[in-house]
Amino acid sequence: MMQGGFKRKSKAASEIPSSSLADMAFLLLIFFMVSTTFRKEKKRDVTIPAAEATRKLDSPRKDVVHLFIERDGGVYINDVHYPIDQVHQVIGPMYAENQALVVVIRADEDVQYQWVDAVQKQLQQANAVRVTFYTNVEHRMTRERR
Amino acid sequence: MALMRKKNRQSAEIPTASMADIAFLLLVFFLVTTVFDEEKGLAIVLPEAQEQVQVSQKNILHIVVQEDGLVRVKRGESPAEQTVRSNEIGSIWRLEFAKNDKLIAAVKTAPGAPYKFMIDVLDQLQDAKADKISLQILE
Repeated sequence: MMQGGFKRKSKAASEIPSSSLADMAFLLLIFFMVSTTFRKEKKRDVTIPAAEATRKLDSPRKDVVHLFIERDGGVYINDVHYPIDQVHQVIGPMYAENQALVVVIRADEDVQYQWVDAVQKQLQQANAVRVTFYTNVEHRMTRERR
Repeated sequence: MALMRKKNRQSAEIPTASMADIAFLLLVFFLVTTVFDEEKGLAIVLPEAQEQVQVSQKNILHIVVQEDGLVRVKRGESPAEQTVRSNEIGSIWRLEFAKNDKLIAAVKTAPGAPYKFMIDVLDQLQDAKADKISLQILE
């Protein structure tokens, strides 16, 4: 009993197609997995000291070079061990290439200060004067307990 | 032959309806568990090589970090020395800086002292908003 010509013609589903949802999710997953870059340097056995005044460093990752000083005074830059008096030969060219270079010193909390001082003198010689001593955040409460 | 009728009508395919849920779960799991190690620490600008700045003795707060972690403080020209714990440096700095805003903190660390004692003092100074800090080694 068709009175007018107003038959519903559209047979398209009103639901959002969800069959490709899995593909999308996996695509995102793979995208994030591929685009995530981790630091390539291997972990060193250094105990980082804690400090209340720890601030986040704003420099982009490409301006940052890590310098590890192990407990026995061994210096490592990019996983290579260098004698302390050669540090300026390594950092010098890096600084020449990138004036915004920031050297992050990750020294063991028990290393003798003379090694840290020697490294600082090397960095001054290489003109890389922007230095950060890597520390962990310490809260006042934990400090008082110490 | 009615007894031989196949009873099992289950589909042989793996159900894919929950695949999206699984994928999103993995995605969220990895997003949450990934920790980027951000760069943080105590920033300082070293003086450039061969840069000698003459500073009047009265504008220097001498801070000597000893091997045992105790700190000797000497104010400018006065010969009096005071031995304190590193956590008192911040208040000493605030006090002295209020009297003289040209003050420079000269931190001299004993060569054999552990690095963390220097960090403790530097931490106190930076926490007390000191910006003119000189790091030296005790000779």
